[in-house]
Amino acid sequence: MREVAVVGAGITECKGRWVERTYYGLSQMAVKAALEDACISVKDVDAVVYGIYNDIFELSAIPEHPLQGIIGMANKPGLRVTTGGATGAYAMLTGYSLVASGLYDVVMCLGVEKATDCFDFTSQTSTPEVIKTIGWSGDTFYERELGWTASDSYAEVVLAYMDEYPEDLKDEVSAQITEILCNNAQNNPYAQRHGEQVTAEMAMNSRYHVYPFKLLETCVYTEGAGVVIFASKDKAKAICRNAGVPPIWITGLGASNEHHVAGKDLRHKLMHRIMSDNISARAAYKMAGIKDPIKEIQVVELHDAFIKQLQITMAEMGFTELGRSDDLINEGLMTPGGPILVNPSGGLTYGGHFVGGSNMFSCWSARRELIQRGMHRALIHGTGSTVAQYGCVMIIERGS
Amino acid sequence: MAKEKVIPVHMIPDVGSEVIEVGNERFLQTNEAMFTFYKRTKGEHSPYFLALKEQKTILGGRCPECKIVRVPPFELYCPECDFAELELIKMPDTGVLNSTPPITYFAHSLLQHQVPFGRGRVFLKGADTALPIHVYTTKGVLTPRIFKKGTPVKVVFRDKRVGKPTDIFAVPVSELKAAQRKKRGLLESELDWTSAKTPKVPKPTKKAKENLSVVMDQLQDLGREAAKSTRAQNNLAGWKRTIQVKTGGGPFVIQIARKRLKFQEGTVKKADFVMAVKDPGLFQNWMNFKDSLTNAIIAEKLWISKNTEFTTVFKLDRIPRSVRRSKS
Repeated sequence: MREVAVVGAGITECKGRWVERTYYGLSQMAVKAALEDACISVKDVDAVVYGIYNDIFELSAIPEHPLQGIIGMANKPGLRVTTGGATGAYAMLTGYSLVASGLYDVVMCLGVEKATDCFDFTSQTSTPEVIKTIGWSGDTFYERELGWTASDSYAEVVLAYMDEYPEDLKDEVSAQITEILCNNAQNNPYAQRHGEQVTAEMAMNSRYHVYPFKLLETCVYTEGAGVVIFASKDKAKAICRNAGVPPIWITGLGASNEHHVAGKDLRHKLMHRIMSDNISARAAYKMAGIKDPIKEIQVVELHDAFIKQLQITMAEMGFTELGRSDDLINEGLMTPGGPILVNPSGGLTYGGHFVGGSNMFSCWSARRELIQRGMHRALIHGTGSTVAQYGCVMIIERGS
Repeated sequence: MAKEKVIPVHMIPDVGSEVIEVGNERFLQTNEAMFTFYKRTKGEHSPYFLALKEQKTILGGRCPECKIVRVPPFELYCPECDFAELELIKMPDTGVLNSTPPITYFAHSLLQHQVPFGRGRVFLKGADTALPIHVYTTKGVLTPRIFKKGTPVKVVFRDKRVGKPTDIFAVPVSELKAAQRKKRGLLESELDWTSAKTPKVPKPTKKAKENLSVVMDQLQDLGREAAKSTRAQNNLAGWKRTIQVKTGGGPFVIQIARKRLKFQEGTVKKADFVMAVKDPGLFQNWMNFKDSLTNAIIAEKLWISKNTEFTTVFKLDRIPRSVRRSKS
């Protein structure tokens, strides 16, 4: 396989609602930003991969088709990837594969979502209709009609974990992580909650929406778009030399989808584990030659759909032990000055979560940290589908 | 009586559009819907759902090779055994919860009237996969303390069944009488559903009345601040409720109407629902972000007469934060 680097990235402002833009406009904005970042023309891009999670959000069964010409990619290949919350990560895996295989030299991954046009006219708010829209993603024979939602399916995993490890995931710790992420978001000018001050106490006292998830410890719904541009080795070196930035090499990738039905062993879903994260991280580490992630990775941009899930995922990925995820705070693993910088973007909870492009947003942020802070290596993570079924991990490293 | 529709009629908006102003620019939005009707086949799942509907029986699928038993029988063949064909078997209607089930308090728009509800997974005796199922208590508001990993439960059948997952639900075995535990095909109408009764609040003492008076001043300040906050007004838009609140310091009324929030001591003849709390100081904690009304209900410190009014409670819970954000 050929070596592949990230050579450009761009995102829009993350907003709870973009009245001023449709997903066409948001896509153009992100593409323009990424091309400007890479100092290349769209004519230099060979193919595009779209990350768009949910047809219903966009009110279109082929939501990517109008984008092809709008983003300047007419007459070139384009394909859409949709894998629930992990859509962005899988879209980047696909984009990487297209370059690594030798099929194309420069591939653009565009993730976009327009979620809060969905509106519940009964309550006169968007959120119940957004949740309902996501609700069509659950098992439609056995679970949707029981009120399956993204929140309650991830809550199942977290509660099962708490059954196994009752001393872990203390509310005080989750609240402190929340405060850290909110503070991080203040360094991200595109963050949805930029300018908002949420303390650990406010997080602790915020209301439950699905037990044990509290409102201020839950990802936001965002409208926005993000683009990441991948290039083959020779092209990457030329592009980055011209742009005056180091290439950011993709050195590890791993993905795993679990069974969606709960069972007693790994033939089915073990509810107290997120094996998708565990397996995908181990595969990515093997590819990147990483033996000890806490010593060898400096930045983690983790798909924090929920703060307690963030903690479990960090344990599944080997940054702490299962049952000791509170060490992220208690042992200072992710506190300011600690060994790992987690979600400098503010994450999906405080930065933004435009589902199809959230992991591009994470990649944009991780690359930014490697370039601006001169750090060596970062991990980007995506999770999705029911009961954290899908996982995808990408390792990136700063080149010279 | 009108037949139930696959799309609840009250959820369907009128054809229309509106203009939203952002800065000095005008943007249009239109009322739309993405809808498709189905005659959806249940195919290989049909025997399971027909057994629920017609025989009050739960079926599982057993692999003749590895003997694994999957409930519900969600596949034809065992992928672990070179796709050996599964055989359908009758399952017992009791088992244990796989893990502590999540309880939804803020549901999606189709299910807001059903909150709070729990969605659990039950290992029926002899099963190797867990059956997704609603969990209910017959003893009032569903709170997290009722169901845990390993809680013994029994599957109960709806009186009216149509061949859907909601034809059945699970209740704790501990809430059933011996005869109910033994009976196969137990119906919901055979359960003792304890009706909600307003809890008693103590008669107000002089000190308690003074406390309420302080709380009322602060609540009325909040109401005035909310009237100045666009965020708070958006939270309350299109909503009208009169809530009678009974406290240990005396009663007061919360009124939501025309994007405004008003608090007034006393009682009203007709309220949409009732809240009851011993200590009116709970509302101070609510205003100061030390507690939410939702969490107080879950912790059983605050009682509401209608579960369906969680939607209103959520709107109220947004107000202190919206006011604060508008000020910052």
